[in-house]
Amino acid sequence: MQKGYVIKRILYTIFIFFIVVTLNFFIPRIGVEDPAERYYPPQGNMTDVEYDIVKQLTREQYGFDVSTFQQYIRYLNDLFHGDLGTSFQAGSPKVADLIASRIPWTLVLSVSTLLIGLFLGLLIGSYAAWKRGQRVDTAVLNASTITTALPAFFIALLLSLYLGFEWELFPAYTDPNMVASFDWSWRSISLVASSAALPIISMAIGSVVSYAQNTRNSVIAVSNEDFILTARAKGLPSRQVLYKHTLRNAMLPIVTNLGMSVSGLIGGSVVIEQIFNWNGMGTLFLNANNTNDYPLMMGIMLFLSLFALAANLVTDLCYCLLDPRVTVGGSR
Amino acid sequence: MTDKTMLKVENLKVIFPNAAGVVRAVEGVDLTVREGECVAIVGESGSGKSVTSLAVMKLLNSPPAVTRVDTLEFDGRDLRQATEKEMLDIRGKEMAMIFQDALTALNPVMTIGHQLDEVFIRHQHMKKKEAKQASILALRLVGVPSPERRYSDFPHELSGGMRQRVLIAMAFACNPKLIIADEPTTALDVTIQAQVLDVLKNMQREHSTSLILITHDLSVVAHMADTVYVMYCGRIVEKAPLKELFHRPLHPYTEGLLAAVPRLSEENHQFIQIPDAVPNPMHKPAGCTFHPRCRYCTQQCRDKMPPLQDMGDGRQVRCWHPLGGPNLTEDALQDGSVGKEAGRYE
Repeated sequence: MQKGYVIKRILYTIFIFFIVVTLNFFIPRIGVEDPAERYYPPQGNMTDVEYDIVKQLTREQYGFDVSTFQQYIRYLNDLFHGDLGTSFQAGSPKVADLIASRIPWTLVLSVSTLLIGLFLGLLIGSYAAWKRGQRVDTAVLNASTITTALPAFFIALLLSLYLGFEWELFPAYTDPNMVASFDWSWRSISLVASSAALPIISMAIGSVVSYAQNTRNSVIAVSNEDFILTARAKGLPSRQVLYKHTLRNAMLPIVTNLGMSVSGLIGGSVVIEQIFNWNGMGTLFLNANNTNDYPLMMGIMLFLSLFALAANLVTDLCYCLLDPRVTVGGSR
Repeated sequence: MTDKTMLKVENLKVIFPNAAGVVRAVEGVDLTVREGECVAIVGESGSGKSVTSLAVMKLLNSPPAVTRVDTLEFDGRDLRQATEKEMLDIRGKEMAMIFQDALTALNPVMTIGHQLDEVFIRHQHMKKKEAKQASILALRLVGVPSPERRYSDFPHELSGGMRQRVLIAMAFACNPKLIIADEPTTALDVTIQAQVLDVLKNMQREHSTSLILITHDLSVVAHMADTVYVMYCGRIVEKAPLKELFHRPLHPYTEGLLAAVPRLSEENHQFIQIPDAVPNPMHKPAGCTFHPRCRYCTQQCRDKMPPLQDMGDGRQVRCWHPLGGPNLTEDALQDGSVGKEAGRYE
């Protein structure tokens, strides 16, 4: 039954992915004019005949010389061979290469944020649940109200202003040459670490608090369950009850949460990256959007959806491992 | 059953203070359980019977619960002095508990085998492998078929009766001296109920375990108990040996409970209902807490809570007008002509 469930989930994911690919292809094409005219407006000394030739060449270069449906087939075929297309940027770089060059930088921020949020969040949340109604608990509650009301970019601006400009603890602005000059030397690693500090902190604050709040609620809900009383009546020390009985059950909603965060990992934060001039996926997407570089936009969106789908799949399968009841209900 | 006292509770009080007031869940309960005896505590929901049992095991979360007790003696030990660390060694080993709904009382994400193992590992310091053998044996003893296979099942994969057997196996794992069973059969079908009760009774007999059986089901009581305590609104209202209670209830509430059990033998049997419901524990009526629902209520009942008094033959009742007995007045109490006051009351 377990195996059947896994196969079913994978087939379902592939089906959804196909739909995503299709929408991703057609939606950008709805409102877009001929890219040839968009990118190569007639130059002053060009005759109409010459201009037509230029346009035709451009169309061929970017694959607009055939009907939309044929383009779609070609797009699928390219995708199948792992080709995401060519960007409109100068030098016609491959979309896949552009994305690949940005991913590590985005991951530096998002993975650290997630790990910090998860680790501290679980720790603080379960501690707050243990000390329910006491000062720690109220502090978590208040902090969550505050961070929900304060968006991450506002925290980022404050941090940038005080920690960055006023007290100069960390660079408030990433060195534009950081990416190009990165060579795994101790110096460049420490440069990355110090430049990443502020963006990570500004995103992690909200993340820690939201994980803490979720964990706290979940743990408290589980501690009221009958089986916790059974465990205590067995004479298990409260620490063991917490770790072996409460937390494992309390993890279930947190895994859902985690799955959603993981699917956002490579998207990067457009705003935070912008504030700290960080060259990640967020900036790449923003630039693609501003320059109407839609092979790149499509590539990024496709990549993000693929990642989100994979993350969802993994979450569901993890659920299966954590909660033995899921298989029965999930296989329908 | 021997004459050795296994559990002695005197004047147990449990209150739950909250913002809106104080819930007095248990107000001065006395309880004595001898070795090998089965004591039933009977009462409607909210009468404080579960809280009493949790207080005995010192499992009430405090806050919010505040517990006061004059005597809490278990097997000659004063549990009032016992630290939480000592209680951890007593719970599960010398004193165990069986809960009402086995589906929620078992951890859904752990195999039942693992949950049984925990008891053996915790109290008998067994290795994982020995614990598995012990768990399988324990499952076999309570009549779980093919226990080797069931060992690695999750709670939701078992039937209700089997789950309850697992809880019973868990409670008897370390051969405890006292088991508290909190409505062990309420969530089961009648046929399964009988099977589970038989298992419980056999296990109790074989190990001569003392058993406190908490229930509102009088047929379960008739099946199992030696002595019956009837609780109402946090107080014991009647205590009697099983047969005497069923033949001649002294308290109107007990009479009502017995009359509410349907009988086929009597044609046109009329249920004598106890009108209304258990009062809100935050606003208990003045005087005898049962008076608003009592058929025999007098002015005296409205004014003053009757004491729990000895009626001979190991019987006690808390009523101004015990059924079939002389009416009590305060004067009669004071000159000692009727009964002797057994319980404290304020």
